[in-house]
Amino acid sequence: MKIWTSEHVFNHSWETVAQAAWRKYPNPINPAVWGTDVVDRHVDPRDGALITHRIISSQWGLPSWAASILGNPSACYASEVSRVNASTRNFQLDTQNLTFGSHIAVDEKLIYLPHPDDPMNKTLLRQEAVVTVSGVPLTSYMESVLTNTISSNAGKGRAAMEWVIEKVNQGLRSMDDLSHAARKSLEFDAV
Amino acid sequence: MESVGAECTELKREYDACFISWFSDKFLKGDKDDSVCAPLLEVYKKCVQNALKEKNINVDEVNIRVLGTDDENRIPPGKSSP
Repeated sequence: MKIWTSEHVFNHSWETVAQAAWRKYPNPINPAVWGTDVVDRHVDPRDGALITHRIISSQWGLPSWAASILGNPSACYASEVSRVNASTRNFQLDTQNLTFGSHIAVDEKLIYLPHPDDPMNKTLLRQEAVVTVSGVPLTSYMESVLTNTISSNAGKGRAAMEWVIEKVNQGLRSMDDLSHAARKSLEFDAV
Repeated sequence: MESVGAECTELKREYDACFISWFSDKFLKGDKDDSVCAPLLEVYKKCVQNALKEKNINVDEVNIRVLGTDDENRIPPGKSSP
């Protein structure tokens, strides 16, 4: 088992970050994620928090040595459960992989909360990932590779959030506007 | 952004547009009544459930109702550290 943690400060209010979090995908920095679907969503009558269960669909480019051990599925799925409390200004997301679930458990936790030093204008992101590989060869090596991948993807995720916040601030309100902007960025990068 | 089932993508877009407005204009301002997007969510959710079943994605794990119950913070069986 390997544990990875990180912190990041966004120079935006918690409300801005919370709105952007729902619009994080699509973005040009994480093109592997191609789908998000809500399978359950309701307001918790106990504390008024919004609880959401989503399935995240993505396309992984597995290194060939890993694909030969684990197989190479055409799509990878993850399950994400989140809780947003607008009164306490807390947004927590927990994500687990569904694909490769019998051999690999990646549990990622993200918490967005007002920054203690400037709660109105800044937001603190706390990230944690626990990686467990079992029942396959090269267990420890795979755990290291996955943890390194998570670490580099975390940087991409933060950049993606900044990209979405900028677009939202520019007045791109709808998902279609954002999809269009993401596609245009990708085309630009490809040139 | 796509849906896991191509046939659900249009339903997803309609629902997402409703949800984003509701989240920004109502929920963050303290209004917890989520009935405005509920009909869109119902139709979209059914479509996704069928798509997941067709693709053999572990629907049992997905559908277990732990959210909002005391099981929510419990470690699922098989996910505990060795």
